[in-house]
Amino acid sequence: MTAVRRRLAPYFLLGPGTIWLVLFFVVPLYYLGKLSLESGVLGGFEFSWHWANYKDALSLYDTQFVRSFVYAGAATILALLLAYPLAYTIAFKAGRWRNLMLFAVIAPFFTTYLIRTLAWETILSDQSPVVSVLQFVGVVPADGHVLATAPAVIAGLTYNFLPFMVLPIYASLERLDVRLIEAAQDLYASSRQAFVRVTLPLSAPGIVAGTLLTFIPASGDYVNAQFLGSAGNQMIGNVIQSLYLKQTDYPSAAALSFVLMALILIIVLVYIKFSGTEALMGEEAR
Amino acid sequence: MRTEIHGRAVRMLAAAVAALALALGLAACGGGGGGGIEGGGDTNEVETVKLQGKPSGSLTISNWPLYIDKQTVPDFEKKSGIKVDYKEDINANEEFFGKMQPLLQEGESGGRSIFVVADWMSSKMYELGYLQNIDKSGIPNVEKNLVASLREPSFDPERSYTVPWQSGMTGIIVRTDLAPDVHSVCDLLDPKYKGKVEMLSELRQTVPLVMKCEGVADPSKASEAEWMKAMDKIGQASASGQIRRFTGNDYAADLINGNAIAVVGWSGDAVQLQADNPNIEWRMPTEGCIFWSEDMVIPIGAPNPTAAEAWMNFVYEPEVAANIAEYVNYVTPVEGVKEVLAKRNPELAENQLIFPSSSFTKKCSPEPAPSGELEQNLVRAFNAILNG
Repeated sequence: MTAVRRRLAPYFLLGPGTIWLVLFFVVPLYYLGKLSLESGVLGGFEFSWHWANYKDALSLYDTQFVRSFVYAGAATILALLLAYPLAYTIAFKAGRWRNLMLFAVIAPFFTTYLIRTLAWETILSDQSPVVSVLQFVGVVPADGHVLATAPAVIAGLTYNFLPFMVLPIYASLERLDVRLIEAAQDLYASSRQAFVRVTLPLSAPGIVAGTLLTFIPASGDYVNAQFLGSAGNQMIGNVIQSLYLKQTDYPSAAALSFVLMALILIIVLVYIKFSGTEALMGEEAR
Repeated sequence: MRTEIHGRAVRMLAAAVAALALALGLAACGGGGGGGIEGGGDTNEVETVKLQGKPSGSLTISNWPLYIDKQTVPDFEKKSGIKVDYKEDINANEEFFGKMQPLLQEGESGGRSIFVVADWMSSKMYELGYLQNIDKSGIPNVEKNLVASLREPSFDPERSYTVPWQSGMTGIIVRTDLAPDVHSVCDLLDPKYKGKVEMLSELRQTVPLVMKCEGVADPSKASEAEWMKAMDKIGQASASGQIRRFTGNDYAADLINGNAIAVVGWSGDAVQLQADNPNIEWRMPTEGCIFWSEDMVIPIGAPNPTAAEAWMNFVYEPEVAANIAEYVNYVTPVEGVKEVLAKRNPELAENQLIFPSSSFTKKCSPEPAPSGELEQNLVRAFNAILNG
């Protein structure tokens, strides 16, 4: 009896999560897939294996797709450059400030995403100190502006997803066995060598997880482009939003959503393939 | 272990794809029979509201945010005994249409008895058979007090299914300290103001104004070629960076902190903005403005239409309409409001943006309402500009 129960336990534990996933992911995905192959106008959409929606999605909006991945990629790299030293400091150097610094990383989440993005409208506004300084040092031309440009959108994306990069890297650094670094130094490794050959590889799972958690939502984001960008900076999320809410062309919007999902999946699979599964899974996968 | 995990992931992925394909196949069998847009009722036989005795019960109204004062709803409830659920759940015409359409298709209104939507949206909903005609015996105040200029609009010449809620003008709003010389829509395209100009993301207002700049006197009668020509101009101005971005109400923040110095904007907003910053001013473009209205309509399947008409009648009492006008600062469609406000708030009563004289608006044109294939083409072309 107990043996049977023990064997079934994992399934019971998986149950709630599975039901949740089926109800709120698989079922909507099915309807989305069906919708993406319909044709007609609102009120008269008919299922007709209308693959042209996919062809149009790629040919009409290739610019926005490329733009989305470029922006998301740039934001991911910037976030990594900002997050790694920060996570490193929190994990190894912060001492008693560690919890406070972790809190500071998470604190922005107490305000909604939208408000935080709108705050950047003020930060980057034309008369703001930030822009004045940039103009003074010549990064931005004297009559130029930062808001409503690509750098503003990328800055917003970087800011908004930074904690998703910091926390996994911190987690992987924090559980790193410092005796390994000491051993490396005992064996005459310089600090730099110890970092490159011990610390960095051991924190790879955190980096991979962080980049994925940043890149994936950033690719589909539309809030930053909406508020910090101009017409020339709209991302694929904005196009999908416009197709759904303004043009009421649901099939095209659904097809675009699928293409976006597929492209992200491909990019992620290629990335994981190159970075190695063990980097994602950590030691256990080896 | 790496290859095994890999292999498993690939197998799971393949299974997922297979399941999806199967599901889609099933959908194909079950699909069809969706029917075209035919609407809940036959377009030729639009139902007329059936009034039933003295208004009572409850009433649900859908309107835009900040489009009414705080007093009118409680006043109405007290006077009529009708309980009002006043929803501020309309943020955009298309979005609201998309939300309600599946219900309206089934002859339901989602419990709502009144929508407030733009002229062109009213006309579209009516054509689809989603609206009822109004029984005019229930709204004597509207018959009596509706301003003459709004009595015979081309889309509903007898006002058989629409009652105007507020009207307004789309023109230009400028920072008089930073761009004193902007007087026309054409001026917005002057390279001098590059990157400091914004336009509304409203196809039916922004493009007609640019058409007026190009010499089209009445954009509501424009050809597709004239629309497209104006859109090309807007597209180029956007690509070159002349137009900083396309906005909704959020141009307000850009004007206040000087990110934008001249925008295409709404008259009522400007009245409120100017109260906070005297350097912000709405200007009648030398080409004229776009004059629009938003209407109260009664959808099919609306519960308690008797109460809905009682509400329409109530807000057409000049005293009530004056309360609303004083708060929202748009153009009131109710005769006699100016006289009421002249006693209470003389400055407001003299404001051309709230009580525009016919000479002030003589070059203005009604908001165009393109339909059918033309509308589809225009919507697509305009959104292509908005999405760069």
